Amino acid sequence: MEGFLEGFLTAIQPINILWIVLGGFLGTVVGMLPGLGPATAVAVLIPVTFGMDPTSAIILMAAIYYGAMYGGSRSSILLNTPGDGSAIAATFDGYPMAKKGQAGQAMAISAVASFIGGVLATIGFVFLAKPLASFALKFGPAEYFLLMLLTLSAIVSLSIGKMIKGFIAMSIGLLLSTIGIDPQTGIHRFTMGVPHLSEGIDFLIVIIGVYAVGEVFYNFLTINKEKKGPKDGGDSMGKIWFTKEQWKRSKWPMLRSAPLGFIIGVLPGAGGSIASMISYSTEKQISKKPEEFGKGAVEGLAAPESANNAASVGAMIPLLTMGIPGSGTTAVMLGALIMLGVRPGPMLFENDPVMVWGLINSMFIGNIALVIINVLLVGLLVKVLKTPAKVLYPLIIMLAFIGTYTLSYSTVDFYLLLLFGVIGLLMKVMDFPIAPLVLALIVGTDMEQNFRMALTSSNGSFSIFFSSWITVVLIILTVLSLFYPLLIKLFKKKKNDHTIAS
Amino acid sequence: MLKKWGILLLAVVFLTACSASNGSSGDGEYPSKNIEIVAPASPGGGWDLTARSVQKILKDNELVANNINVINKPGGGGEVGWSYLSTKDSHYLAVNSSLVLTNNLLGQSKLTHKDFTPLATLATEWQAIAVSVDSPYESVNDLFEQIKKDPKSIKIGVGPGLGNDDHLAFVQATGMKGVNAKDLNFLVYDGGGGDVVTALLGNHVDVVTTSLSEVKEQHLAGKLKILSVSSEERLEELEDVPTLQEEGLDMVFPHWRGIMGPPNMTEAEIQYWDEKLGEMVESEEWATLLENNDWDTFYQNSSETKQFMDEQEKLYKDLIDKSGLIQ
Repeated sequence: MEGFLEGFLTAIQPINILWIVLGGFLGTVVGMLPGLGPATAVAVLIPVTFGMDPTSAIILMAAIYYGAMYGGSRSSILLNTPGDGSAIAATFDGYPMAKKGQAGQAMAISAVASFIGGVLATIGFVFLAKPLASFALKFGPAEYFLLMLLTLSAIVSLSIGKMIKGFIAMSIGLLLSTIGIDPQTGIHRFTMGVPHLSEGIDFLIVIIGVYAVGEVFYNFLTINKEKKGPKDGGDSMGKIWFTKEQWKRSKWPMLRSAPLGFIIGVLPGAGGSIASMISYSTEKQISKKPEEFGKGAVEGLAAPESANNAASVGAMIPLLTMGIPGSGTTAVMLGALIMLGVRPGPMLFENDPVMVWGLINSMFIGNIALVIINVLLVGLLVKVLKTPAKVLYPLIIMLAFIGTYTLSYSTVDFYLLLLFGVIGLLMKVMDFPIAPLVLALIVGTDMEQNFRMALTSSNGSFSIFFSSWITVVLIILTVLSLFYPLLIKLFKKKKNDHTIAS
Repeated sequence: MLKKWGILLLAVVFLTACSASNGSSGDGEYPSKNIEIVAPASPGGGWDLTARSVQKILKDNELVANNINVINKPGGGGEVGWSYLSTKDSHYLAVNSSLVLTNNLLGQSKLTHKDFTPLATLATEWQAIAVSVDSPYESVNDLFEQIKKDPKSIKIGVGPGLGNDDHLAFVQATGMKGVNAKDLNFLVYDGGGGDVVTALLGNHVDVVTTSLSEVKEQHLAGKLKILSVSSEERLEELEDVPTLQEEGLDMVFPHWRGIMGPPNMTEAEIQYWDEKLGEMVESEEWATLLENNDWDTFYQNSSETKQFMDEQEKLYKDLIDKSGLIQ
């Protein structure tokens, strides 16, 4: 803690404030654009950081990272198109809110939720960095497997009324995740001799494909039937600030989701997608009005937004305390820092306290700057809804292709993009939930590998999945998440018969 | 009208551009246009950083007058970038590592080092074998004794996949103690080095085999214990860690990085890069780069590299055969 003040003074140097605002703005923009994520943005900036002071460099890169968490939900809300895995949960209620004419309110509340998540997590960072880092070490293969299982069961259980379709979508996602070189044996699976497939299908292509391209295709089919704009057209943007009632509903969900997201973020490899999904399903399950979730419940947007921003702060902990990147973006940051002669690791707090505390203080400032930037942008962004379909949809398609190309600079991905666009269209037409597919693809490879490692290390005995209190808690949560809706139904049925209409 | 002028202008620009590049490349003036360095990986990774460092140092020291660009072609463990290189002219170079050999030996690529022009070996990292601080094993010999007695009792963390240097270095070392590589109990962490270290710190594995840079800081901080390194001599800052040779295992295992060009480069072109790259590795910036990354200097010119590749190919073929990865 001794470096706190000095770090604060470093963070408020005008040049660093400039980097914070610039990074935050840039992050917001790349977060909004489908396919362009914080990892790409940080990587592209590496040559710029070459000549920079290392502290300024990490401040800039971190600002891009959490700035992208702010921006990510914008396109989820406006266009039903998440910019990244961690913004998927924001489509569940954000897009329905926009459809109800509350786009402005949705964006305002999500900016505030991100702010609360970010600030609470930064406070958590100050006090809990070291104990949490050692807690994260307790997570072995069995624990990771069960955490991912919980995520999947949570998301499938969200699809009430079409649970089977949810399971089918999840299974397809898991099947897709097996494509590529199998790390355990080095065998190529389903790559059909295409070298591009040997590292698997990038989940971002699938996200852009099924959401963005699929959405465009879907609207293309219906564009002539309804003589309306892309959304409800006209005056659907609504107010740009949320109501007292909305604040009251989302206050506690935001405060609860921040620590949840933060802790999940600390676990290397878990990250924002898992954090936002688990916080969403938790809120839905403890809500008094779960039937409103998915139809534009404001707390269903606030909770995951708070969680994913908190997770991005949490992901810095393993990076700074152990030199271990907890997410794709922090991995790129690690590479950039090494180039600058800084080696994050157990010695960093001792060797370079000013840098660490400078970063932490910059995150407070950055979150304040970002909530202002994002609230100011609301007025501008709602105009997207007024954009005529003829202009908007070609633009989305263009952005989708650009975003895809930046992932691996290969045109093979364009075919995949279109393929998943068609799959997304079919899923929409047949009313399949999309999120289980994408989430399963995101966690699938790690889940499989952790399952095999767990069994290898226990010599094939399944008892390893019950061997620690963490595994037991995770199993209980998984079972609860799957059967909770059922239990609630039974419970309600007893109480009064006609509440289970849907 | 305006449109016509635009087209005409474009045509003129295009023709000038063509004649400019044709005019000078005819008479052995090399390089005659932009140099492109292919990083067969995404931005931010090791290969990308190597390529960008080479680009920066060559430019900053004014060693090469032409523009130098870095192109990222990730995929297939280098395969995508390298097959791209194999179709290009001599203004394209690519960063490489032992994967250019092992991809082929593992049956994952048709291309091998003979399909390119080796230009230089630039730098190397060393391999490390590390255990947790409270591990009962004080030396690699203690550890290997136990592995020999009961291979299943020792969980070995490695990543991101089998067949890489981390894996094969361990296969070679234990092989010298008469351990059959097929009995080794590897846990493969597909997240790579960082994940492997986390696993060791959390005691989910008994030993890890990885690049030195992944474990060095942890060792210095007393969070884990490096038993041995694969270098020829003891390393700076790690004077307490013996080399494998000192432990009676007659091997040195570099995890090298190099640079190569497309097939059919002329003698003059190879000469050019011998000179430029030879000067580059003498620069101060290069020394800083090596130090920041915990790499060691490992410069070999084009003809030395060619011979080195042949030796390495034999070694890797033998190790991969022993490892049982190819049935």
